[in-house]
Amino acid sequence: MKTDSNRLLLSGNHAVSHAVRLVKPNVMPVYPITPQTPILELITEFHAAGEMTGEIMTMESEHSAMAAAITASLTGVRVFTATASQGLLLMHEMLHYAAGARAPIVMFNVNRTLGSPWGFWPDQTDSLAQRDTGWIQYYCENGQESHDTTLQAFRVAEQILLPAMVIHEAFYVSHSMEAVEIATQEQVDAYLPEFNPPHRLDPQIGESWGNTVSQVMFQNHRRDMGDAMERVLDVAKKADQELQDLVGRGYGIHEQYRCEGAEFIITTMGSMTGTARDAVDELRAEGVPVGLLKIKLFRPFPVADVREILSGIAKVMVLDRNFAPGTGGILYQELKAALYGLKGAPEIHGYLAGVGGTNISPVNIKDMVHSAIGEKPVAHSVWKG
Amino acid sequence: MSGTVKRVPSIWTTGSTDILNTGTWRSAIAVHEKRPAPCYGACPVDGEIPIWVQQVRNEEFNAAWLTLVENNPIPAAIGRTCHRPCEGACNRTEYDGAVSINALEQYVGDMAIREGWAFPAPAQESQKMVAVIGGGPAGLSCAYQLRRKGIQVTIFDANPELGGVLRYGVPEYRLPKKMVAAEIERITDLGVKVVAGRKLTGEDLGELEKNFSAIFVAFGAHDAKRLPLFTKSDSRVLDGIDFLRSIRLDAPLKIGRKIVVIGGGSVAMDVAGSALRLGQQAQILALEGRAVMPAPEDEIEDVIEEGALLHDGAMVKAVEDLSGSLLLHCINVELDQNVSPGVIRPIEIAGTEFTLEADTVVLAIGQDPELADWEDRIQVSKGMAVVDADYKTSRAGVFAAGDVANIERFVSTAVGDGKRAAYSIARYLGHQDAVEEGFADSVKEVSFKDINTFYFPTQKPVERGKVDVDIRKAGFAEIRLGLTDEQALDQARRCFSCGSCIECDNCAIFCPDMAILKDADSPLYYKVLDQYCKGCGCCLEECPRGAMGVKEETK
Amino acid sequence: MGYEIQEEKVFNSGHAACPGCSEALALRFILNTLGKDAIAVVPPSCIAIISGPQPLSSMSIPVYQTTLEASAASAAGIKRALISKGNNHTNVVAIAGDGGTYDIGFQALSAAAERNEDIIYVCLDNEGYMNTGTQKSSATPSMAFTTSTPAGKLSPKKNVPEIMVAHNIPYMATATTGYPDDLVRKVKKAMEIKGGLRFINVLTPCLAGWGVPDSAGPKTSRLAVQSGIYPLYEVENGETYTLNYGPNGLSVADYVATQKRYRHLSPEDVELLQAEVNHDWEKLQKKFK
Ligand SMILES: Cc1cc2nc3c(=O)[nH]c(=O)nc-3n(C[C@H](O)[C@H](O)[C@H](O)COP(=O)(O)OP(=O)(O)OC[C@H]3O[C@@H](n4cnc5c(N)ncnc54)[C@H](O)[C@@H]3O)c2cc1C
Ligand SMILES: Cc1ncc(C[n+]2csc(CCOP(=O)(O)OP(=O)(O)O)c2C)c(N)n1
Ligand code: SF4
Ligand SMILES: [Mg+2]
Repeated sequence: MKTDSNRLLLSGNHAVSHAVRLVKPNVMPVYPITPQTPILELITEFHAAGEMTGEIMTMESEHSAMAAAITASLTGVRVFTATASQGLLLMHEMLHYAAGARAPIVMFNVNRTLGSPWGFWPDQTDSLAQRDTGWIQYYCENGQESHDTTLQAFRVAEQILLPAMVIHEAFYVSHSMEAVEIATQEQVDAYLPEFNPPHRLDPQIGESWGNTVSQVMFQNHRRDMGDAMERVLDVAKKADQELQDLVGRGYGIHEQYRCEGAEFIITTMGSMTGTARDAVDELRAEGVPVGLLKIKLFRPFPVADVREILSGIAKVMVLDRNFAPGTGGILYQELKAALYGLKGAPEIHGYLAGVGGTNISPVNIKDMVHSAIGEKPVAHSVWKG
Repeated sequence: MSGTVKRVPSIWTTGSTDILNTGTWRSAIAVHEKRPAPCYGACPVDGEIPIWVQQVRNEEFNAAWLTLVENNPIPAAIGRTCHRPCEGACNRTEYDGAVSINALEQYVGDMAIREGWAFPAPAQESQKMVAVIGGGPAGLSCAYQLRRKGIQVTIFDANPELGGVLRYGVPEYRLPKKMVAAEIERITDLGVKVVAGRKLTGEDLGELEKNFSAIFVAFGAHDAKRLPLFTKSDSRVLDGIDFLRSIRLDAPLKIGRKIVVIGGGSVAMDVAGSALRLGQQAQILALEGRAVMPAPEDEIEDVIEEGALLHDGAMVKAVEDLSGSLLLHCINVELDQNVSPGVIRPIEIAGTEFTLEADTVVLAIGQDPELADWEDRIQVSKGMAVVDADYKTSRAGVFAAGDVANIERFVSTAVGDGKRAAYSIARYLGHQDAVEEGFADSVKEVSFKDINTFYFPTQKPVERGKVDVDIRKAGFAEIRLGLTDEQALDQARRCFSCGSCIECDNCAIFCPDMAILKDADSPLYYKVLDQYCKGCGCCLEECPRGAMGVKEETK
Repeated sequence: MGYEIQEEKVFNSGHAACPGCSEALALRFILNTLGKDAIAVVPPSCIAIISGPQPLSSMSIPVYQTTLEASAASAAGIKRALISKGNNHTNVVAIAGDGGTYDIGFQALSAAAERNEDIIYVCLDNEGYMNTGTQKSSATPSMAFTTSTPAGKLSPKKNVPEIMVAHNIPYMATATTGYPDDLVRKVKKAMEIKGGLRFINVLTPCLAGWGVPDSAGPKTSRLAVQSGIYPLYEVENGETYTLNYGPNGLSVADYVATQKRYRHLSPEDVELLQAEVNHDWEKLQKKFK
């Protein structure tokens, strides 16, 4: 089913705001930070114009924003917030808390470099540093995907009862204008069931949350969270499919681009994917058997899928626009770990490309592919600019 | 990853801590217990002071009176004459002054007379008969308690009317006769037979023993002591009790203008006060210093206000007959501290000699029981009938109490002794249940430190007002004004109710563990929940009045 | 005579507070006054321990245990969620310690006050981080011993009640467990006022931390009031001050004498403390009409 076209020229951030409008969260605690701010600004505009109801909470910090988001969610309502960079880091304690509380908050994060020193550039380290918090993480490459993925995130989070973070990068996505097909209210209403959890903070029910537990209880609780994460893989695939059925756009939890017959696969996350796609096209035209694997759902990491996709491939080149000093590119580490012990596992080249927001062009990527083809990989990430 | 997949998180909290047993933490548990107040401990009649004062506070006056007369049938009289050991012991003394217990007692006693409240008739009559010799406070108290138990009582008294010292000793201005009469009538109305105007002697004992199952000797002490310096036949020398009795009988003995009263007790003060009222001049010569004179301070103060001159700490050394008047040669003395209790040895202070001229000397230095004709029938020692703890004399079936058997010569002591003797007599007559309720030895008296004074805003005691001194001197009308209703309630509110729970709920309110519940079935109003009590003791601390104790527990 | 206190049983027996704990006592009066139509937020503190070990709760209302610094924000989140569902009746109350209020949670509290969130915020002020073993907080008074100020605290207690008044919130009150009727009345008043942040600072002596006997909680709390150290008062809309109980002639010396945390004080120290208390009281007194 596809309703009338609803195309608007929007920045990536505003594409997200539109999704939030359609989702109708009850509570939205917000706090400004570049380059996330336009998301909240448009939401507050919608709200002021009466296009949205719900409670907007203008918090004094991201920490409090997340604190309020958690309790609002546990009170049994839909909650959205957005942040970036320092804000996300300030939330760190509460991110764990939210996941432990099984609060299906959806948060949009705009990737931005982390101080110090100050910078405002695209870099995924902020969100990747939250990879162990128990949040579902989706990385998007453009405004359209961010719009659609935000819708999916609510669907998955509320079904699984884990919080979900949807992510795109500063400026390359957040502020660049593109035509975005906005879902209709009917589509979204059909897509997202009402959020009405049986357990919630409600005097009629009387249940409490967060009392001190024993070691065994704690372990069981963590296991339950792990099981829930595990289930996300299927639920997310279904949620993607179902949205596709409604609006005609789907992404999967990862995407293979021109991987048929490929011997070399570039692996990316986020905006780099678009550039890599161009590079693949050019390389294929040159006759190089290159394909592209885009990791969209980073948490839970689709380990089984990745092993299947990359099994028998000769070489994989991971492009990381993030950097963990001491270990290198984070996607590179994750991928290596995922492939460990796989029969016929590919050689893996980990390239740090675009860290700090430096521009990576299709030509750069092609160069990297060529050099990788001719080299033995080293056991750590390599700076590529 | 494996394990059971749960659709909903499993750790929402659904249970309540009230299934836990925090009682295991404690080593001691607080218990509600009625504890004796110091006033009760000091009270010669074992009066339940905190209880009836509380009833006054609650304006349950009849109930207050009924509580009072459990132990004391003559509160209007005692409310005027008691030496008030209760007030001396009162925990409030340390705080802002004792509760005016005695004035409250008078208040309730007077109200009972005004309202005509009568004693309930005995529930059952017994055929046992008891003879009571002497209708003073001791005899009346005993007769009353025996009648309450249904025992038949006959009082024999030498005087035309009952009351003993209350009627024939204490002057009208301290204790109006009509009050005495009303309270005595209330007792005799219980069915007490009275044989008045008959002075019994030792010889009558055999006769009495034939007709009565038990005999109670309570004829007081009416043999006035004499000083060898004064000859018996001298009409210028009188005995205080004779003088006072003569006034009560409206036939005052003749006295001169200048009166010297010798003695430092109530009798001396009463003599001085009465002499002043008869228009004469009174001087008092007391062996003891003012602070330790046996008369209560307010009685001393009264007569001094009325014009008596007090020479305390002094004694007569010689008497010179000035033909007409007597000249008393006196000297100041100190009392030797190094003597055994009860013994008084004055040491003269050289150079302090002085003289007093007297038209009449009134001796008020004590009285002995008239036991000469009893000595071969019951054991007598130091001039008093010898009794055991149950008021039994050496002769089976003969009991004694009051001034005749006790060196403590107080109205309330006589009433208390009379009461306890009645219980003893009742038991002797087969009423085994005639046992007074009391406190186990293990239950500690409430001390001031057990009181949580936060709950008691300071408020000064109010004593009875006194009539203006000029009016006082002009006649024998009562000099003390009873408390007004408002004053009485104010004073009753001052009482801490030491050791007696008044259901203020503090113990329950201040329990952080909600381990104390109201319990309608408990005589102590509350129950402590064993499961939860951690033994912190907040209840104990917050009980304003020490109506709780601690029980140590060993686990 | 006696207190007239109506309680709806919300706070349960069997909780894990120390014997005689004033926090537990305060919780009793607060929760049993709030009644069942309420949701509580509790950060790490002794209160959290008292709340109960999973799966048991000492409070028969939903309790959400939040992080140390987030109480006000967490409570606001619940309230806003309720409002968004059309529920305007359920009271949301944050009950936090002084560390969670005066220190680490102060930012969130101030902000919630500024937004005038429709919540009740109760600080159970035991003048230190007690749950972690008696360390200093900014609510610890001058010269008091804590394990992080072994020689006594060098600075005076932060005056959070007045700071909250400066937020012009509809209601600010100080209360303590030794005056349960006053505490209950203030909770009731806070419930009636609604429509903004209501703050009650409840002094709750910590028996172990202050060094007083298990039975002395309420008594110590009263000494604080009677000596002028902790006057009980309330302020409406940041300006209408009412004194409920002030000093009644007791001195700082009377107060410190019963507490081991002050046992190192010299007579001169006590005089300095007295001067501090006099000064604060004079300043405060001017505000009562
Ligand atoms: C003037 C005076 C003032 C006093 N003031 C106080 C005071 O203010 N407060 C206080 O606490 N105490 C006071 N006392 C002491 C107190 O009155 C006595 O301790 C008390 O009355 C003793 O009571 P009782 O029943 O033992 O003796 P009494 O009161 O003496 O009664 C004995 C009764 O026995 C009768 N009686 C005597 N001999 C016989 C007999 N052979 N046969 C038959 N009947 C006989 C008498 O007529 C009398 O009625 C005072 C004493 C006196 C004398
Ligand atoms: C962010 C953070 N830092 C430190 C702690 C450790 N912590 C737990 S309770 C507590 C003390 C809280 O003191 P207070 O709020 O006064 O409550 P009390 O224990 O005195 O009742 C601290 C520091 C924590 N839980 N979270
Ligand atoms: S305060 Fe009342 S109960 Fe306590 S000693 Fe005094 S009179 Fe007796
Ligand atoms: Mg604290």
